[in-house]
Amino acid sequence: MSRRTPALIAAAVLLPLALTACSTPEGDEPTGNKAAAKSDGFPYTVTNCGVTTTYKAPPKRVVTMNQHVTEIMLELGLTKSLVGTAYLDDKVLPKYAKDYASVPVIAKEYPSYEQVLATNPDFVYGGYSSAFTAGDGRGREAFKKAGIETRLNTESCAEADTPMETLYEEIREVGRTFGVTDRAEAWIKQAKADNAATAKKLKDLKALPVFVYDSGDKTAFTAGGKGIGNELITRAGGTNIFADLDKSFGDASWENVVARKPEAIVIYDYGATTVAQKKKRLLDDPALKDVPAIKNKRFAVMPLSDAVLGVRVPAAVEKLAAQLHPAATTS
Amino acid sequence: MTCRTPAPRRLLRYTLVVGVLAALLAAAVVAALALGSVRIPPGQVIDILTGRADASPFRTIVLDVRLPRVLLGIVVGAGLAVIGTVLQALVRNQLADPFLLGVSSGASTGAVLVIVLGIGATLATTVTIPAAAFAGALLSLLLVYTLARGGGGLTTNRLVLAGVAVSYILSALTSLILVTSARADHLQEVLYWTLGGLGAARWDMLALPTVTLIAGTAVLLTLARPLDLLLVGEEGATVLGLDTARFRAAVFVLASLMTGALVAYSGAIGFVGLMVPHMARMAVGASHRALLPVVALGGAVFLVLADLAARTLAAPQDIPVGVLTALTGGPFFLWMLRRRPEGAPA
Repeated sequence: MSRRTPALIAAAVLLPLALTACSTPEGDEPTGNKAAAKSDGFPYTVTNCGVTTTYKAPPKRVVTMNQHVTEIMLELGLTKSLVGTAYLDDKVLPKYAKDYASVPVIAKEYPSYEQVLATNPDFVYGGYSSAFTAGDGRGREAFKKAGIETRLNTESCAEADTPMETLYEEIREVGRTFGVTDRAEAWIKQAKADNAATAKKLKDLKALPVFVYDSGDKTAFTAGGKGIGNELITRAGGTNIFADLDKSFGDASWENVVARKPEAIVIYDYGATTVAQKKKRLLDDPALKDVPAIKNKRFAVMPLSDAVLGVRVPAAVEKLAAQLHPAATTS
Repeated sequence: MTCRTPAPRRLLRYTLVVGVLAALLAAAVVAALALGSVRIPPGQVIDILTGRADASPFRTIVLDVRLPRVLLGIVVGAGLAVIGTVLQALVRNQLADPFLLGVSSGASTGAVLVIVLGIGATLATTVTIPAAAFAGALLSLLLVYTLARGGGGLTTNRLVLAGVAVSYILSALTSLILVTSARADHLQEVLYWTLGGLGAARWDMLALPTVTLIAGTAVLLTLARPLDLLLVGEEGATVLGLDTARFRAAVFVLASLMTGALVAYSGAIGFVGLMVPHMARMAVGASHRALLPVVALGGAVFLVLADLAARTLAAPQDIPVGVLTALTGGPFFLWMLRRRPEGAPA
């Protein structure tokens, strides 16, 4: 008997594991609005970043992660649908401050999967792919299994580039998902008008070669051709010298910065390193002394939170155009 | 020596050790279910576990988030510790650990390839990534094994050196794929695989590792005697009638398969297989029949507690549990290295 005991104990300990592992608890979907009335535009089926979802009714309890998607929700007048929000890059635009203050902040940066679940949401809207990191349990699949629909800002899954049309599409789809098509279309109309106005001011100007400096010492971390940042520069009367970099953001070598002779440098402003520090770093770099933008000290500044796919883009285009082409835009 | 029937006192001691570990495991599980980034009153946790609570977010959190995670921790912890024990016997070196032999980098490379290439994106977390991690882990282990074996016997030194070399090559490959990837956010997903974590645990992920653990451990228990013989030494084992070369190869493949299946969902969690067997040997001796169950229990307790720490220390952020096991395991490794006289076999 004695020699067999350990094995038996092991079996006794391990067996319950096997049993529990097979007994999946019955699904408990935190929806709560099964009797939702049929409204116009529903059911609405949309494919977002490879995930197809059919909405029978507008989601009612929404959690947003990342500032730009939070702002999209606030712009569309959906404050009352928000049960939680997380992760600001800097702070929401002043016009949203009051609405934003009424929404519980569930985490300063990304919340844990548990924390999102605790708000009992039926929809989660993330700005960057990292909002849905599967390794942290927050994968879109995991939410779906818990009966929670998700949306990811489409800039995060752009296949090629992100033209302005992608922004309109984002607003349009979110508007339809929440049954606020009118509001979404009104916003798009205004944005198109704003963009057209900026374009008109710039129409006779030659595009300025622009280098985006995000950060970096050994290499220049810059905007590539894939993100909305590239579109922003183009529409503000510039050409991104690293538009051929097949990423939203990526590293470029300093020698390429020199070789491509940017006439202006756009500094992305965020985080702990100030614009002044970044400017000094660029001006003090002996390798860059022959770059036209450095020689003429031609800098423009853009908050990083303007350069993501969100409601700030039309105004950001205008602001950047004013910096790149002050003469043409002052009239 | 190793076949001696345990005296009553040894049996008493053994029962005591198993009893204490089982109690510890129960306590760890309760703590892991009750604690987390969302505070749930203990009374409610009990209601939920006993089925008296209605559907609520808290119920989802306890039953669908924490419980599968705790169970995966138990299975992976137990499994890695068992594999570590067996590998240590195979190479006759107590410093062997599945992750010194290239598994972690193999699993990561497999996972990274799938993540970056976006293969089967909709099934990524449950099917394709684990499958790729499994394949990667297996390939790297077999590669290490083949390299170490070529030209002469399978010595510990060759195995460890081959493991280090293969690890470096695979990590470099992973980095290369990552830095040239068009999507910066892949880094986040990939980090999870290289560091190891249990955050993605869900019910549908438990079947494969659980079956692997139970079947693998059962097979290894039947091999307890030949494993004990290996500890006697190459000649000794051969004299006692063991075909050491074939036996080692077979067990090594079994251990690789188990490792691959275990890390497929958790990523590489290092040092569990190093620390736990060592402490278990100090408690109950080196005979495998007695050792393996204790090691499995110990590994489960250790990983459940480590994971609890990982998700509460910096809440709401999940620290990958592999970071914590390495932080405790690295110093432990060094301590063992110092303690062991030069050239001594295990």
